[in-house]
Amino acid sequence: MERTSANSPEIEFRDVAYVLPNGQPLLSGLNLEVQRGETLVLLGRSGSGKTTTLKLVNRLLTPTGGEVWVNGTPTAATDVIGLRRSIGYVIQDAGLFPHYTVERNIGLVPRIEGWTTERIHLRVAELMQLVGLEANLAKRYPHQLSGGQRQRVGVARALAADPAILLMDEPFGALDALTRDQLQREFLSLQQRLGKTVVFVTHDLREALRLGSRIALMESGKLVTILSPQEFLRSTEPLAAAYVQAFGDGLDSAANRGMS
Amino acid sequence: MNFFHFMLQNHEQVLELTLEHLWLVGVSTLLAVVVGIPLGIMSAHWPVWNKPVLGTANIIQTIPSLALFGFLLPVPWLGDRADRLAILALTLYALLPVIRNTYTGIRGVDRAVVEAGRGMGLTPGQLLFQVELPLALSVILSGVRVAVVVSVGLATIAAAIGAGGLGEFIFRGLAMVNNQLILAGAIPAAILALSADFSLGWLEKRLRPR
Amino acid sequence: MAGETIAATMRPDWREARRGVLKPLQSLGWLILMAPLLTSCAPSHSDRIVIGSKNFTESLILGELIAQQIETHTHLKVERRFYLAGTYICQQAMLAGRIDIYPEYTGTALTAILKQKVGGDKAEVYQRVKGEYEARLGLTLGPPFGFNDTFAMEIRGEDARRLNLKTLSQAAAFAPQWRAGFGYEFMERPDGYAGLAAAYGLRFATPPRVMDLGLLAPALKNRQIDIAAGNATDGLIPALDLFVLEDDRHYFPPYEAVAVIREQVERQHPDVAEAIAELGSKISDQEMRQMNYALDGQHRDVKDVVHEFLRSKGLVQ
Repeated sequence: MERTSANSPEIEFRDVAYVLPNGQPLLSGLNLEVQRGETLVLLGRSGSGKTTTLKLVNRLLTPTGGEVWVNGTPTAATDVIGLRRSIGYVIQDAGLFPHYTVERNIGLVPRIEGWTTERIHLRVAELMQLVGLEANLAKRYPHQLSGGQRQRVGVARALAADPAILLMDEPFGALDALTRDQLQREFLSLQQRLGKTVVFVTHDLREALRLGSRIALMESGKLVTILSPQEFLRSTEPLAAAYVQAFGDGLDSAANRGMS
Repeated sequence: MNFFHFMLQNHEQVLELTLEHLWLVGVSTLLAVVVGIPLGIMSAHWPVWNKPVLGTANIIQTIPSLALFGFLLPVPWLGDRADRLAILALTLYALLPVIRNTYTGIRGVDRAVVEAGRGMGLTPGQLLFQVELPLALSVILSGVRVAVVVSVGLATIAAAIGAGGLGEFIFRGLAMVNNQLILAGAIPAAILALSADFSLGWLEKRLRPR
Repeated sequence: MAGETIAATMRPDWREARRGVLKPLQSLGWLILMAPLLTSCAPSHSDRIVIGSKNFTESLILGELIAQQIETHTHLKVERRFYLAGTYICQQAMLAGRIDIYPEYTGTALTAILKQKVGGDKAEVYQRVKGEYEARLGLTLGPPFGFNDTFAMEIRGEDARRLNLKTLSQAAAFAPQWRAGFGYEFMERPDGYAGLAAAYGLRFATPPRVMDLGLLAPALKNRQIDIAAGNATDGLIPALDLFVLEDDRHYFPPYEAVAVIREQVERQHPDVAEAIAELGSKISDQEMRQMNYALDGQHRDVKDVVHEFLRSKGLVQ
């Protein structure tokens, strides 16, 4: 396919390898493309390399082989701070700064980017509304919030500077099933509104099917296959099939975006 | 003449010696903080520095204080003025608690929080000053508190080499076998130590992150 | 609406002050620095004179002497800081401006503080010390009080009479049969035992016993030792019938007692310098011994003894 700026991938992995200093390889021969506006889910068990892959996008880790390209430029050639500020990063348990209020947490990147107080304030209010947080929570501290509320703050924080790319590392993993379900719904509607390019890491097939536009299945540091949710369900690829079986019933509805 | 009467009569001297004492403790603690906190941060971020830094501070601590004062006496610029010497010695003793607690405090910051900060694009400097240090502050302050309390005590020994402070009352009182003089030195010193401990402890509590 | 919320954000929240680490550390730092600003190197007691002394009887008497003299002859308030634990401590206190005057000995100043070799007679030593103090240390000396508290080699009176001994050279012949007793400082100082033994060719059968100064006289009396190094103005010398051997080879440096004064104080208070000058040459060896004995032997109060002395010299009413 010819690459024009319109359809060039937002994120590219070109033969990427990542080996630990002690020689242990976490990733090898990874070739992957993430298209603008899609939600690519990295699915795999712990140790499969999915979190490592995620961290290579915002250069929290540097590839030991190959290149990672973001928005048409190799990450190795980009100013790392600028790169990270242009990418939203959400982790499990939110990683909120405990000594900052919700407001200051969300407004962090805008603040260090030098936005005016007025502008930051408006943006924070806007985002809180977007992720479904009541305005009166603005002055609360993370320890005063529920798990679900904290995660919403995490997402709002990641979106604050309006990045094109969002990286999410098992963001809903630590939540109870009800809250998780709620947040997944809200994620979908948010995605529809905002159209961000999202790379989403999970070990939960149900979640992958529900949220992803494509699912990249990883095992032992290698990419096994990339399939759409529907394709995944019907896949004969052994690992994919094993996943489908392990997760049992009701996956159809998940694949259909929870419309059951 | 009872003790309070004595204190009242000699209040000028008591005040002067107390201020001298505070000077010794204050300057040395400040120096220990200025030198120790960066060293603690260094050891926390680059583990290769851990052993040499903490090891050296540990060795200094094991030297008996009076011996250290004695060692430093013949040193040219230092030995000329006893208060300079005392301040240096007190600073050296204050280093270990400050360095060690800075190290512990920074290492104790939730790794997830630090990583989130890095991932968001905070520079190492911003990470240090806006995330790590504020979160480690309570523990660091605890180290400063220990340093101050220890210094107040050690500074009384500094009077033995002529650095002044409340210890002077104690040594004079011992020479004269005069209990009032001894108490005039010992009680204010104890009060200083206790108030420092109390107020810094209070500050520590307020700054503890949830 | 936006204005309201912005104002709400501006409201000070204690925990918000933690945002930088600088703020709390700064306030702590200021707090610590505030108090000591009052104790900067410059003296904080320009309205009173602080007199120090070392921690032995004679120094105490001299300190009290200076104090009472200043009290009666000037309008200044005098503060006493006696029993400072030694030469180094007094010197440090002078340099730091914590005391203004204290009694010292020319010989001690020369060897222990200026770290120079002894040599010359009383007047030469005095001039050397005065010159160096004024040039290098910002201190000056008052005139000598009049007595020479040098080291005294003491033997029992009966032995002196029986063996007809008057000088150290004569006594050196009997050294191999004697046990010697010295204080710590005498043993350690280069102008102490080592130099003495060399100057007089002293050879004792056994190494000298080292003991506390206060124990030397009783030990001598009880025949535990036969010769001791005491001080010439020791109060117990006449009381215990001890004899001081003459230093015929002039080994011991002169130890004239003088007042050491901070130059700044001398300039600011010329009446203080005058008052101290009046004490020049007023105390003989014998008189000093008597005053020492009044305290050590008779346990009288130092204030009374000094007042009596000043009256007897016509310096006070």
